[in-house]
Amino acid sequence: MRFTRGVIGYCIAGMIVMSVWGPLASNYGILGGFVAAFIIIGPMWYMNHYVGLIEHDDDSAFVDMGLGVAICGTMRDFFMIGSDAVVDSLPTLSMVAIGAVAGGVVAAYIEKDMAKKKLVSEGVLIEKQKSA
Amino acid sequence: MSVGLALTTIAGGFLFPFAIRMMWGKMVENWGPIGGWMAAAFIVGTVWTINHGLETPLISQSGAGWIDMAWAAGIGLLVASALTGGKVSKAIPNIAAAVVGGVAGGYLLSLFL
Repeated sequence: MRFTRGVIGYCIAGMIVMSVWGPLASNYGILGGFVAAFIIIGPMWYMNHYVGLIEHDDDSAFVDMGLGVAICGTMRDFFMIGSDAVVDSLPTLSMVAIGAVAGGVVAAYIEKDMAKKKLVSEGVLIEKQKSA
Repeated sequence: MSVGLALTTIAGGFLFPFAIRMMWGKMVENWGPIGGWMAAAFIVGTVWTINHGLETPLISQSGAGWIDMAWAAGIGLLVASALTGGKVSKAIPNIAAAVVGGVAGGYLLSLFL
């Protein structure tokens, strides 16, 4: 059941992003793209990750609906244009992947650093309460 | 793809998952589910503008196959959550679901677009 729910969630998010966003942006420019983010990502995030159509265990690494969206967009062009189109795009995909790994690593370290400071300040608070 | 454009593409890939990890959770914490809509507009919308929306965007497309910044979200958020206690082995069923859902969605789109 979990797998089926995931397939449906990733598929719907991917299909709407990869069909509606483009026309909104090409008709209304950057403002259209901005509106697309709000009217597509808003409800899709709400359905998939807030309501929880896509299910994660508490200790599972997080698979964002973005992965479904990404695969959907690239595969759309694989089916519509052909495999050459996707092969030509591999340089971009590799660079994006390198940047994404770096972004994830740096964000994780910064979060740990922020949590450390919070722990320290909470510790100070506890010490103060003890002495008071 | 020139070295310069490769560099900007890496920067675009860095930016999206980084901004999500820094802000999305906090927005939901502070404003409840409305925070998720705020995040959709002001993280995804704003980052989309620089990554894809501009005439010469940060993420440079080397071929006709569309590489969306969502690739960066999928990869970057998985890495970040794996480094903060998430088990990758437990994520595999969802990764498989994303592959199946994504391929099926791409195929359905090719039937009517």
